[in-house]
Amino acid sequence: MKIPTVRFGEIDVDPSRIIDMPGGIPGFEHLRRYVLLTHRENHPFLWLQAVDDGRIAFVVVNPFLFQVSYEPEIPDDVVRKLSIGKEEDVVVLVIVTIRKDPFRLTANLRAPIVVNGKNRRGMQVILEDHEYPIQFSLLKTPVLETEAGAARKEMAISTALGGV
Amino acid sequence: MLVLTRKSGDGIRIGDAIVVTVLEIRGKQVKLGITAPADLSVHREEIYRMIREQNEMASLSDGMDVTGVKEAWRTLNEAEGIKT
Repeated sequence: MKIPTVRFGEIDVDPSRIIDMPGGIPGFEHLRRYVLLTHRENHPFLWLQAVDDGRIAFVVVNPFLFQVSYEPEIPDDVVRKLSIGKEEDVVVLVIVTIRKDPFRLTANLRAPIVVNGKNRRGMQVILEDHEYPIQFSLLKTPVLETEAGAARKEMAISTALGGV
Repeated sequence: MLVLTRKSGDGIRIGDAIVVTVLEIRGKQVKLGITAPADLSVHREEIYRMIREQNEMASLSDGMDVTGVKEAWRTLNEAEGIKT
């Protein structure tokens, strides 16, 4: 299906690639369908583009690339709502805020986007853990692309979502 | 706004499926128990508002900004001696 977007023009989306977010996300509750787009060049940012509003897209990133100690605990009600069967099916992404000053790049570790790669259902989970900041500065810690754990998580993402 | 006065142990019911119970009152703090259907999410108001504001701010990021970030990233990684 073709969807018009402000940032990428008209894009052709395979309906089986759509991620269903039944409750939307806070501030955008009316938007329930998203697709994950890779950026033109190979770098860790992805776009979560709303299918039903071409203006709305979020930059998302695999949090484990930056913070290997990040261990968001997925609450039971989320496991139920997303029908998560196995831990390997879970894909965790965090929303990035980009400001005019590119060095003030932050990621919201407090409220990750959790997707069940098996049924492509997702939601933004607000963690109870107060330790995870809403504005985690990404560029304080340069990405360690050789980090074995991070690489593994990255692979888990592409496998679970079957590419983008 | 509907205003109800309740004692510790009392509750209020919202619709058929939501019950809010006052569990404990201690000084300036009230402990509430909330029973709600699994498809309803319950959050502390101020946290929910912060997440919403952050989402709104994040939605304003555009493609040009991403390019800027990539450059910033490369600069930092090079400074750290990390191959990009």
